[in-house]
Amino acid sequence: MAYKCPTCGKVWPDTLDLARHIFGTGDQAHKDWVNSKGYNFIELLLIQTMEPGNKGYKTLADLLEKEAEKVD
Amino acid sequence: MAKFNVINTPIHNVDGIAKVTGRAEYTFDVSLPQMLYGKILRSPHPHAKIIIIDTTRAKALTGVKAVVTGQDTLGVKQGIWRRYKELCDEEILAKEKVRYIGEPVAAVAAVDEDTAEEAMDLIEVEYEPLPAVFEPLEAIKEGAPLLHENAERNINVTRHIEWGDVDEAFKQADYVREDWFRCSSQAHVCMETHCAVSSFSPDGKLTVWTSTQSHYYIKVLLSDVLGLKENDIRVISRYTGGGFGSKFELDSAQFCSAVLSMKLCKPVKIVLTREEEFMATKRRTPMFYYLRSGVKKDGTFLAKECRVFTEGGAYTAMGATALYLTGFFQSFPYVWPSYRYDGYRVYTSTPPTSAMRGFGAPQATFCAEMQIELIAKELGIDRIEIRRKNAMYAGYEVPGQATIQSCGLVECLDRVEEWIKDRGKMPPYSGIGIAAYGFMSGGIFNWFDTPYAFSSAVIQVNIDGKVDLFIGSQDMGQGSNTTMSMICAEELGVRVEDIRLHMGDTDKCPVDLGAWGSRETLMQGNAVKMAAADAKRQILEYAAAKMSPNIVYDMDIKDRWIHLIARPERGLSYFDAVKEAIRGKDGQPIVARGHYTPHRKGMISPAYSFGVQAVEAAVDPETGKVRLKNCVTAHDCGQVINPLGVQGQLEGAIAMAAGYGFTEDLPMDDGKILNPNLVDYKILRTTEMPETTVMEVETYEPEGPFGAKEAGEGLTNPTAGALGNAVFQATGVSIKDLPITSEKVLSAIRAKKTKK
Amino acid sequence: MEKFLLRITVNDEYHELYIKPKKLLVEVLRDELGLTGTKRGCNTGACHACTIFLNGKTVKSCSVLAMQADGAEVRTVEGLAEGAELSPIQRSFLDHGAYQCGFCTSGMLLSATALLAENPTPTVEEIKEGLHGNLCRCTGYNSIIRAVKAVAEGKYKGGGNGEI
Repeated sequence: MAYKCPTCGKVWPDTLDLARHIFGTGDQAHKDWVNSKGYNFIELLLIQTMEPGNKGYKTLADLLEKEAEKVD
Repeated sequence: MAKFNVINTPIHNVDGIAKVTGRAEYTFDVSLPQMLYGKILRSPHPHAKIIIIDTTRAKALTGVKAVVTGQDTLGVKQGIWRRYKELCDEEILAKEKVRYIGEPVAAVAAVDEDTAEEAMDLIEVEYEPLPAVFEPLEAIKEGAPLLHENAERNINVTRHIEWGDVDEAFKQADYVREDWFRCSSQAHVCMETHCAVSSFSPDGKLTVWTSTQSHYYIKVLLSDVLGLKENDIRVISRYTGGGFGSKFELDSAQFCSAVLSMKLCKPVKIVLTREEEFMATKRRTPMFYYLRSGVKKDGTFLAKECRVFTEGGAYTAMGATALYLTGFFQSFPYVWPSYRYDGYRVYTSTPPTSAMRGFGAPQATFCAEMQIELIAKELGIDRIEIRRKNAMYAGYEVPGQATIQSCGLVECLDRVEEWIKDRGKMPPYSGIGIAAYGFMSGGIFNWFDTPYAFSSAVIQVNIDGKVDLFIGSQDMGQGSNTTMSMICAEELGVRVEDIRLHMGDTDKCPVDLGAWGSRETLMQGNAVKMAAADAKRQILEYAAAKMSPNIVYDMDIKDRWIHLIARPERGLSYFDAVKEAIRGKDGQPIVARGHYTPHRKGMISPAYSFGVQAVEAAVDPETGKVRLKNCVTAHDCGQVINPLGVQGQLEGAIAMAAGYGFTEDLPMDDGKILNPNLVDYKILRTTEMPETTVMEVETYEPEGPFGAKEAGEGLTNPTAGALGNAVFQATGVSIKDLPITSEKVLSAIRAKKTKK
Repeated sequence: MEKFLLRITVNDEYHELYIKPKKLLVEVLRDELGLTGTKRGCNTGACHACTIFLNGKTVKSCSVLAMQADGAEVRTVEGLAEGAELSPIQRSFLDHGAYQCGFCTSGMLLSATALLAENPTPTVEEIKEGLHGNLCRCTGYNSIIRAVKAVAEGKYKGGGNGEI
């Protein structure tokens, strides 16, 4: 099972990879999607640095598990 | 028998005569008929709106021929990451807003420098100062002044590198430690400051002489900002007086002189003063580093977590690359089964930070090696042994990032270990510190968005056997002219004196991306080798026809002698064969081409150099002053091409990197650099330079020409860390905040005594 | 502004020039006489790239007004060789690769020539002291020190312009 990026449609093997793609691309479209789901893109990025344990990425990955389209 | 005729022999640098007799003409020396002199007016504010610029009085001064501002330009925001428009954020001549002290706002062309200076005082600029922010950790706070509208919280770029499961791995570790480091900025201090002479003619063509590391980049960037076709611009840079990373982006001397010359159709020369060089050119990226490492009690590395904030300064420049490379080289040169890096580049109202020799790797190596030393101490493991245990090796794959094909790291460790043993016991307050490193030999990236091969070469063999070699690479002192001549001569089978080199002119030379990221030896070298091999093949066609040997024999050329490899006494002179080959080609000289672009070589580089450095230092416990005594480096650059060149690069790298370690700093007060001169900014002088010893560890790198890899940039990686570790060995204090000044050492020694 | 007559012998050639009084010697050498071998790396006399001989002694030509050299004998890097015959220190620099970008090289050669003229057999420490004022960003100095030491050890005899 793989996950499709809700903004650009690129497919990734797991939610952490997809989260990495979204943070890494960081363009307005991807940012807007994250912000539309009740999160703040920049805050998540900063949490990644300020708090231990991959928290920013994990939070986004959990969101993607719920919201991203799953493909085979 | 020697493996090579030319490679790895101590020949004179091909530019030697020109340089020792004062004949070498640098941009600094260029003088043209009717040439005018330009000066640049720069912002005194770190962050301000430009309300109005009144140039009337300046224009009226006798001898002033033109005054330009951002309003006289196309207002194109340019940047070296051309493929990513949101990272092209710098106009050079600011139109609406200035974002650092020293940002250009106007430029003057006049009959002489004194008049241009006087005119600058007559330009009236009304600014509306805005609140500024100077530290990255302040700039990301909510409500901090915003430098660029599209960069929320002033975050310019972010990078993330990850493999393995770091959090799980930390659970398995017997010992975990975290450390915070601060890596300072550094100025390039090229002996020739940034300069350009631009000359625009009524036929719409622009010629620019400039001190640069990449004439191709400057040509294309000028085309972007001036609206001229790329090939209506000619950039000339036969000799460049130092670069070190400061001269491959478009700079204010180039841009302003071009704008002025296009207005006047006269040549305009702009030479930055040493003060402008310090205050308003780009510099090494300062970094705030957090490292957390987990290891087993036997010293096996398990997990490393790294978080970095870099002080970006006002514009992106090459800062995005430094951000990535620091995170990548943080894991070098060891096998870390799990690793995670998060890097953030933050805009601040300071001069932009960009590329400087090492490109984020000296910062990474300083932090990594200082921490490993502390880990070794805590676990009671020998510091060479812990490094050897975890060292990279040939064939290792950095997960998802790179394949290490050649690696002499373990042998480097062995050689340094031997040297340390021979040194014996150190007197009190003396110590030997070590640091290991790895570095790239040219990058695979194309953020510049070039459609061309990354390096190309053209060869023409003439009737007298003289070989014209056309290359695009730039010699800025690192010796690429000599290296390419040697590679050509070795492959073709002639001598270096048979090569006539053509470089430094975009009208006459093929494209090469320039001298940065340690790419010339591997990339331009491969292109040259390919061209020389083709020229040789063409000559051998005629030689084979003439000699008509049994088909089982193959032929080669060595030292101007074409021969059967199996029976070298049977052959003919290269010179004779060339004459006949040209006759056979209907009187056409032999022409050959070569090129190189890395394809599918991982995320960073086709090849990596490695090394281990030991620095012996003595610390004066009364003053904290550090004195360097010895510096020994065991070094793997694959096959050495130019041995005098490698030694020179090593010694120069040590001087620069030691300066980074303990004498050089750019202290600022509200965005203003406080020491913009060569007295207060202290680079190493003769008396501070230690004895240096190079130990070559030979490996063979399949990606490189004759097995060669880079030598010269990677060598700047270890010295700050080795120096810091020497101070640690000598005094027990670990200074994690560069530069390691005598004040910091003394403070730390005293604090340690008080604790006791 | 009134110009003054400057009479100066540079590399054994006599010149008469009319120049503004505030012109520096380095500017006259480079801009009026076209001898661009002497370089400038700063405006504060800190780097010594502009070192030349003035009446047999090394000076920073950026710190001397040209009129102070009226009637004087000057030697620059262009005057170290005699035709195709390089001076001992130039030959030693070539053999030792004692230069990289080359921008500081002229000043280095002049300072080294002066050092050896005053002290023909300096120790490594004395060489370091003698060249202490000349800044170089490329070489790390050690190749330059080796080159000077080799001349001091008599490995390069004669040739070029022995007379300073």
